[in-house]
Amino acid sequence: MAAESTAKLPLGFRAGWVIICCFTALILVYLVLPQFIVLPLSFSDRSFLSFPPSGWSTQWYEKLVANPSWFQAMINSLAIGVPTAVLSMVFGTMAALAVSRGGFKQAGVISALVVAPMMLPHVILAIGLYPLMLQLNLLGSYAAATIGHTVIGVPLVFITVTAALARHDFTLELAAMTLGARPWRTFRSVTYPTIRIGIIIGGILAFATSIDELMLALFLTGAGTRTLPRLIWEQMNDYLTPTIAAVATLVFLFTLVLLVIVALIQSRSTRLDGWNHD
Amino acid sequence: MASDKSTGWTATAFYRWLLVAPLAFVGLFFLWPILNVILRSFTDPSLGVANYERVFGGGPYLKVLWITVETAGIVTILCALIAYPVAYVISRVRGSMMSLMMAFVVVSLWTSVVIRSYAWMVVFQRKGVLNQFLVAVDIVERPISFLPGTLAVNVGMVHIMLPFMLLPMLATMRTIDRTLISAAEVMGANPFAAFRKVFFPLSLPGLGAGSALVFMMSLGFFITPALLGGPRHMMAAVLIEQQANRLLDWGLASALSTVLLLLTTSIYLVYLRIMKSAGGGFAHGR
Repeated sequence: MAAESTAKLPLGFRAGWVIICCFTALILVYLVLPQFIVLPLSFSDRSFLSFPPSGWSTQWYEKLVANPSWFQAMINSLAIGVPTAVLSMVFGTMAALAVSRGGFKQAGVISALVVAPMMLPHVILAIGLYPLMLQLNLLGSYAAATIGHTVIGVPLVFITVTAALARHDFTLELAAMTLGARPWRTFRSVTYPTIRIGIIIGGILAFATSIDELMLALFLTGAGTRTLPRLIWEQMNDYLTPTIAAVATLVFLFTLVLLVIVALIQSRSTRLDGWNHD
Repeated sequence: MASDKSTGWTATAFYRWLLVAPLAFVGLFFLWPILNVILRSFTDPSLGVANYERVFGGGPYLKVLWITVETAGIVTILCALIAYPVAYVISRVRGSMMSLMMAFVVVSLWTSVVIRSYAWMVVFQRKGVLNQFLVAVDIVERPISFLPGTLAVNVGMVHIMLPFMLLPMLATMRTIDRTLISAAEVMGANPFAAFRKVFFPLSLPGLGAGSALVFMMSLGFFITPALLGGPRHMMAAVLIEQQANRLLDWGLASALSTVLLLLTTSIYLVYLRIMKSAGGGFAHGR
């Protein structure tokens, strides 16, 4: 944990450095503490939440498998998350290309508008979309939740693709077009390879956000389409059994897998230096 | 030259057309619903400002708005105080140690908010981890009831918001040229003075962007206050969900949403201003 040339610094500063390093270690532990409380809890042999568990069992995982509504909720989450990721990738990439390469005078305003859904409280969007979905006769369908999640997924792809585009010169594309390539061809063979990683990472972020989203799911899904966060939420308000800990552990492991995929994509792409730490 | 120009125009026009579909989508499923919420706050159940009179009439609703702003403020200040030294350390270490530290931040960021709030319930409940610890080391004689409570809400919200403070701070601190600090030290400034007069001012855009982001997101927080806060620590989003989804008072829910929207939008504009003057786009992840 040595910083450059700490040895030369005065004692007071070195002591301060040691103190903030210890503080940092504590905070980093705090950041992952909940995850590591849930894990042992899911193997508890008791029906109430005592920690650390007095004995071990896999009964909560068995209960999980035995209850079809958990499986259905997982399927629903995927049935909404995957199309959300795809739609977000399409709209987010289109918007990023238009804003970065379209030469709009109001580019700043357009970006602010496209990113806004991610920043504003989801509850406002939820109570706005509810009557609209009712009108469109989509309430409780997969489509309703997918549309809602895509609204907050587009900004994520927009941001990652904009960042990728900012690292590449427009002149390459102009050169291709000057040499006679049509816009679509130029996109496929010049632009797309440079922003592909940005699109994929944005898509994974949109997928992860959809999988974790609760507020829109509460308003837009129905009994047959309710997502995993919504089912966890409903169960939590009723009783705190370790079954939820078992679900939480599985979801956590799934997230780690996604994270490893993202890390692998990033480390394989040397071009995307700016995204190493995100 | 002329052909060059015309190709450039074709490319630009092509890219401009790409905006149509995403803009139509955002317009139909984001702007239109939100305009409807604002409209509804003045028309449901009857035309007028009756809903706003209920919100600002000094009753429980005004108190909820105040608790929302207060909580968002406390969470922002706590996050800033905690994240600054942590970001400073992470920005100074190199190699695998930095990757390890970033892994903690990113894993935390990626873990489901519902699940993290559930974990904090486990920690703070009557027979929970914290109470067992406090009783075991004789700090208290019998378990304290933390739930529902302000402490639990703050600890849970700071936990979720910390990465959103850390990432913009780190992005800024990484760009600070270390030679400037060395230069200050060579010129005779001691390390503390070099930090205060050179490093700290240069790190302010990250602090500003992180604070605006955390404050804005905290204003609309739902899961943590709903689970850990209870009726006495109710925040705006919890109240809106309750009014719309359970009590079916859509007029009041719309008025509360409009107030919340105004608050968040104004912070969002501040955030955009900070990001613009810092010279970056939206330089952070989720």
